[in-house]
Formats: sequence, structure tokens, C-alpha cells
Amino acid sequence: MSVMGATFVRNWRITVRAYPWTYFVGTLATGVLTIGVSMLAYRAIGGGRVGASFTAATGSADYLGYVTIGAAALTFTTRMVLWVAKAQITEYREGTLESQLLTPARRLPYLLGVTAQALSTTAVEITVLVAVAGVLGVRLSVPEPLTLLAATVAATVAVVGMSVPLSALMLAAGEAHITQNTLFTAMALLCGFTFPTSYLPQAARWLGEALPVTWALRVLRAATLPGADVDPWPAFAVCLLLGGAYLLVGLSILKPAERRALHRSARA
Amino acid sequence: MSHALRVVAAEALKQHRRLFGQPLVLFSMLLWPLLTLAATYYTVLPVMESAAAPQRWPVAADPRRLLAFLAAGALAYTFFFSLVQSAWHFSFERVSGTLEALFLSPASRMALVIGNGAAALTQNAWLFGCFAVAAATAADVLDVAHPGMYVVAAVALLVPAVAWGAFLNSLLIFSRDSAFLYTLLDDPLWFVAGVRLPLFALPVWIKVVGLAFPLTSSLVVLRGALLDRADLGDLVVPLGWLALLTVGLFGGASALLRLGEARVQRTGGLQVF
Repeated sequence: MSVMGATFVRNWRITVRAYPWTYFVGTLATGVLTIGVSMLAYRAIGGGRVGASFTAATGSADYLGYVTIGAAALTFTTRMVLWVAKAQITEYREGTLESQLLTPARRLPYLLGVTAQALSTTAVEITVLVAVAGVLGVRLSVPEPLTLLAATVAATVAVVGMSVPLSALMLAAGEAHITQNTLFTAMALLCGFTFPTSYLPQAARWLGEALPVTWALRVLRAATLPGADVDPWPAFAVCLLLGGAYLLVGLSILKPAERRALHRSARA
Repeated sequence: MSHALRVVAAEALKQHRRLFGQPLVLFSMLLWPLLTLAATYYTVLPVMESAAAPQRWPVAADPRRLLAFLAAGALAYTFFFSLVQSAWHFSFERVSGTLEALFLSPASRMALVIGNGAAALTQNAWLFGCFAVAAATAADVLDVAHPGMYVVAAVALLVPAVAWGAFLNSLLIFSRDSAFLYTLLDDPLWFVAGVRLPLFALPVWIKVVGLAFPLTSSLVVLRGALLDRADLGDLVVPLGWLALLTVGLFGGASALLRLGEARVQRTGGLQVF
């Protein structure tokens, strides 16, 4: 607990002193412009209507609400992954990974501290995004507030679960740019952020099913889509199971990845 | 002139050696654009399937034409974005201390920034090739008036892109902060240039902003020539505007380089940021 608290406080200080504005503007722009394109297409081309396939797949005709929630969820996911998965490679690049390995602190509380701090800043960023969407004229409703809370829990478990093996991968490869952007573009396609996954070809759909974020999104849709009458709890359970499995795999490969990173910096 | 050409060739060769065969190029030029293209297609698909869409935009009625429209947008955007990336790499010269050496050499500054951008483009020629092959395989998607229009499309994409690259590179004489390039010119660029939507769907003020970027007009020519059977006469307005923009960008780059160099001679800014 003390490791988690200390990491939380340290990361808050870093954020307050040197907030990464360009990252923030970049991710916010991606979200806002995704909503913008959908809105312009919906009004100028669709005439304020969508095809029957969308209504059949989602149980709702609220296309703009669907895309806005998806864009906000994608912003949440990318920002959280940037924080949690890149925590250790940032230590490595700044030369503090050795100190981290020398302390008796365990990895999981450290990563949870990073997660807690990331959640607090990401919440602010998502609020800004949703407010901008509101100014643009998107009306959102939350028919199931309790389910929304569950969706936030599910999304956090999913993101942390995916970030830990990713962190190991980045440390082992000594590279973050390609890994993170490949994951972001793949997730944007496979997980059903801005369109229902039933649009995808069968093989791609299976890939999406293997990612916990896809299941977290199902809980989120149940909470936010008016008229989507689905039971969110099976998806919630699958999300926690999958996220937990990713987390366990990640923690088990973190040690060899750290060793590899150390050997690399010793050689350099 | 031959001196400038030698500088262009040398700088291009240097960039080629730095970049070619790097996994980053394969990911950022092929895999990410393809994944993003597919996601964009599926995101706008519900709207295109609405009953009102085909009357407002005939392309919406045919998923293959819609995909070709978006793919042409992704191709042109990727080309222009590779120039943003090349400018980003140019900023490493400053970080590694070689920018000063470049400015101590008698090489023409303009030739340097052109060479830098040209290298990025020739390395992406294969991308254009892949697109052409893919489009030719789906033969009924392409609708070209005559073979000469392929040349027009390629020139309308390449020449303004080199000018764009020279301009971006010259901006970095003033600052080492290249993150703003990524932030300002990544997402907003595709939005205002009509990469993912036909221009008529954009509000007037966005169209006006978009016209200032060569990508917008390049894309009009590319789509017109390859997908809509336009000939030279149909495209004379965007081509003329592109020519003006290209001259303006080269002129701007040259002026910025001179101003920037005078400034860093006064401030020592090339070395100490």
C-alpha cells in the first residue's frame, strides 16, 4: 500500500510540474475530430439517419451518442495505456529502472500507483472531451448509472491487464513508439469503439473478442445506450477474467524483460 | 545548379540510409494507415447505409467506391504525413549537433531541405505502387479518362508534397520543438483536407482553412483523375491553385531559411537551442 501511495504522489508531482500538453492536445484532437467527422457525415450525407444494420446491431439509432461514447472510451484507453504500459520504459530511459529494481518494492503495487494517478488525470481529460462533444451538440444520457460505474471498473481492469504484458514487451524490445501505436490502431479497429464489432469480418471479430477492452465496451454500451436492453454482467465477468489473465501473464514475463533491459543498458 | 543537385542527391542519400529498411517505416507507412482506413470505413458505414445518403452523395451507395474514395484519401494523407515525419527526423540534426555543421558547409540551404523531403517521398513510392496494384486488381473502381491522367495525379501528389516538406523543414530552423508538428499536423490535417469526407460535407470555414493546405487540392486532383474520370480541363482550377501553393511554399521556405539563419547567427541558437 505504501508503494502504491508513494508512486501516486511522485507521479502527481511529475504531472503538476511538467504536464505533457502535446500528448493531451493530440489525444483530445483525435477524439474530437472522430466525433466531428461522424457528425458531419451524419448530417450532410446521412440526412440525420443511419442504416438498418446499425440499429439492428446496437438496438439503438443514436449514432452520434454511440460514436461519442466510443471516442471517449478510446481516449481513456490510449491515455491509460500511455501511462501504465510506458511507466517502466520511461524509468529505463530516464535511468531510474536500476534504482527501481534495487528497492524492495513489488511491481504490482507500483503499477497500481501509476494506474491510480493516471485515472485521476484521465478523468479530467475525458470530462473535457465529453464537454466539447456537448458544445458540438451531442446529447448523451446515462440510463444506468450503476452499470456506468461497473463499466469504469471493467475498463480499468482491462487496460491495466493489457498494459502489464505490453510494458514487458516494451522493456524487452527497448522500444515504445511502434508497439504503442500498433496497439492503438489495432484496438480502434477491433474492439468496437466507433462501430459495432459485428461489422468486422469473422476472423477480425475473434481477435477483438480476445481483448478485454472489447468486453469492457459492452458493459459501457449497456450503461449508456438508450434502448439497448442487454444484461451487462456476463460481459463484466468475462472482462474481469480476461483482464486478470493478461495481468498474470504480464507479471510473469516482467522479470525476464527487466533483466533483458538491464543487460542491454550494461552493454551500451 | 549542378552544385544544388549534388546537395539534393547527397542529402537524399543520407536520409535514405538512415530510414530505409527500418521497421518504423513499414509500420507508419503501411500497417497503421491500413488499420485506420478500415476503422474509418466501418465508422462512417452506418451513415452511408441510410436511405438519404445515395441522393446526397452517389459514392455512398457503393461500398467499393466508398472504400476507394477513403483509400485515395489515406494514400495522399500518408504521403503528406511522411513529410511531417521527415521534418521530425530533421529536428534530430539539431539534437545531435549536426545542424550547425550543415549550416557551416557551403551547401545551399534550400537544396538541403528539398533533398530531405524528396528522400522521404521516393522511399514511399512503393506505397503508391501498392495502391495502384490494389486498385487495378479491383479494376472497376478506377475510372481514368486516359493514361496521361496517372502522371497528372502522381505529379499533383508529389510536387506539392516536396514543397510542403521543404516548408516544414525550414520551420524547424526556429525551434527544436518538433512535437507541435505532430500535434498540429496529424489529426487536424486530415480533418480539414477532406481525407475522410467529401468536401461538400464540410462547413465553409473548414473548407477555407483546408484550401491553405496543399493536401486538400492534391486530393481533389487525385480522386478526380483516378476515380471520377476527370481530364485535365476538369481539374484546371485545383491544379492552378496547387501550382500557386507550391510556389508560395517554396518561397516561404526560402524566406524562413534566410530569416532563421540570420537569427541563429545572432543568437547562437543552433547550438544552445
